[in-house]
Amino acid sequence: MKPRDPIPAPSKPLPSTGNDMTEQAIWNGTISFSLVAIPVRLVKAVEPGRVSFRMLHSKDYSTLARKMSCPEEDKIVPPEEIIRGYEIVPGKYILVTDEELESVSPERSRTIEIIEFIDMDEVDPVYYDHPYYLVPSKGGEKAYRLLVEVMRRTNKAGLAKFVMGEREYLVAVKSYEGALALITLHYSEEILPGDDFQPKDGKVEAEDKKRIKKSINKMMSGFNPGKYSDIRREKITDLLRNKAKKNGVVEAPGTGEEESEGPADLVAALQESMRKVKRKR
Amino acid sequence: MNRRAVRISGRRLSLTNLEKDLYPSYGFTKAHVMEYYLLISKFILPHLKDRALTLKRYPEGVEKDFFFEKRCPYHHPSWVKTADIRRDKGDRMTVCLVNNLETLMWVENLASLELHVPLARAATPETPDSMVFDLDPGEQANILSCARVALILRELLSELRLASYVKTSGKKGLHVYIPLNRKQTTFEDTRKFSKAVASIMQKNYPELVTAKMAKEYRKARVFINWSQNSASKTMICVYSLRAREKPMVSFPLGWQELEKLARLNDPEKLHITHSKAVRRAEKQGEIFRDVLTKKQELPHL
Repeated sequence: MKPRDPIPAPSKPLPSTGNDMTEQAIWNGTISFSLVAIPVRLVKAVEPGRVSFRMLHSKDYSTLARKMSCPEEDKIVPPEEIIRGYEIVPGKYILVTDEELESVSPERSRTIEIIEFIDMDEVDPVYYDHPYYLVPSKGGEKAYRLLVEVMRRTNKAGLAKFVMGEREYLVAVKSYEGALALITLHYSEEILPGDDFQPKDGKVEAEDKKRIKKSINKMMSGFNPGKYSDIRREKITDLLRNKAKKNGVVEAPGTGEEESEGPADLVAALQESMRKVKRKR
Repeated sequence: MNRRAVRISGRRLSLTNLEKDLYPSYGFTKAHVMEYYLLISKFILPHLKDRALTLKRYPEGVEKDFFFEKRCPYHHPSWVKTADIRRDKGDRMTVCLVNNLETLMWVENLASLELHVPLARAATPETPDSMVFDLDPGEQANILSCARVALILRELLSELRLASYVKTSGKKGLHVYIPLNRKQTTFEDTRKFSKAVASIMQKNYPELVTAKMAKEYRKARVFINWSQNSASKTMICVYSLRAREKPMVSFPLGWQELEKLARLNDPEKLHITHSKAVRRAEKQGEIFRDVLTKKQELPHL
C-alpha cells in the first residue's frame, strides 16, 4: 500500500489569514464601510462531508453522462433545443429566455458594502445559509486585523449585500478565530413560519418545568463538536479503504493506452535507447 | 503510562511506553525502534529535511490498526519545525519538518514507524527534486522480478545519460530514483517522462512489465508505477522502517550489489532488516546522498 490517500478523510480547514495568493478564491474584491476598504478574497469554510460516487457502466467502467431525453419522442434532446419554462399549472408554462433572466440579474460587483452593524446574537440560526472565510489580500492585512479584533471584542457583525454569481446575497460578516467569516443569510421571505407548529392547548405545570430544567442542567456541557462525527461517512470511508486494499481498483477504458505515449521526440529517443539496451543484453 | 524524560540537543522530551512491543512476533519494542532511528539518524535526516512528513502511526504495534497523519499533531513541542502547505482542495495545513534528531525522536515516540515524504520540499511543493519509478510485483512475481526490471531501467536511463539509484521498498518492491535537483523541472515533466518510460518498458517486456494499475494486468508481472510522480503523493523515506512482521528497512543498494543479489536468486537476500541496515550503512556509507544533490535534466521534453 502506498501512502497516497485518495479516500476522503474528514477535514477541518482552518481560517487562513496568511497572504498566500495561491489560496483558491471563490471571489475577489473589497469589503468596505464608511471610509475603509479592505481587499479580500472569499474562500470556502466547509467541505461537505458527503462521499460522492460516479455512476459507471458495469461492463467496462466507463463514466456515464447525464443526457436530457424527451419521453414523447424517446430521444436525447440536444442543448440547442432546450428552453426554460415556468410552470404555472401542470402542463402550462411561461417561457423565459436566457437574455430575460440576464436582464434581471444584479450587476456584478467587486465590493461587499457593510450597510449596518448588528448584534450577532440577534440573528437566529434559522437564517444561516452557508459559511465562507474572507482572507486579506495584499495590502489589506492591517485594516483586516483591526476589523477582526474590534468585531471580536464587541461581538458585532456587519450586515452587507453582496453579488456572487447570478445572485445578490444578504450576508453577515463576523470575526471567527482571528479571521473574518462571511455567512450568507436567508432572506426573510425564504423562512417558513414556525408558529403553525406551536401546540395550541395545554398548560405548563411549574413542577414539570422545574424538573425539565433540572435535567437540562445535569446534561449541560461546553459545545465541543469534535466529539461527534459522521459515522456513516466514516464507515463508507473504511469500506472504501478495505476494498481498495483487497480488491484493488478498476480502471475506465481509455485512461491507459489510448492516450499518447509522450512527446514524439522522447518516444523516439526511448525507442532508440531501448534497441541499444536489448542489443547489449 | 511509563514516562522517561530525556534531553536531546538541549531539548526536553518525554518518552512514553518504551517497553511496548511494536513488532510482537519479532520482539521489537518502542525502545528498539528509537534506538534504530538514533543509529540511522545521520543517514536518514538529510532525506527528511524540509519535507512535509506524513506520519504513519502504529500506536498498538504493527499487528493492530494504524493511521496516517498528514497534519502536524496539534500539541507538538514548540521547537518542532513546521510548514504551512496548501492542499489540492485549497485548504491549508500545518505539517512537521523532521529537520533534527530531537524531532525524529519525538515522531518515533508517537510510534510513527513509517516515515513518508513527498518528492518535493515543503517550500517548493511543485518542484520535484527527483523522479521515481515504484516497482511493485504483482501476484506470482517477487522482488527478484523487480530487480530484473530495475536493472533494465537503469540501462535504459543511462543510455539517455541519466544516473539512477535504487532502494528496496522495505516491503516487496524496489524504488528507482533519478535525481534532478533543478528548479525548472516540474511534476508535469516527471509524469510525462516516467509515463513514456513505463510504456516503452511494457511494450518491450510485456511478459515482465505492466504500466497498468488494474490487478488483472499485474499477475506475474512488475507494475511500474510512474504515477507516484505527483505533488500530492509521498514515498517511504530511504532508511525508514516498514511496519511488517519484521522491522524491515527501505534500504539503498549499489547497482553492482543488486546485480549480485539478483544472481543469487534468493529473494530473502533483498530484504534488509534493521540490524543489517545499520551495519551496512556504516560500512557502505551514504550511497543515496547523490539523490539529494546531483543535478540532471530530463532530455527530449
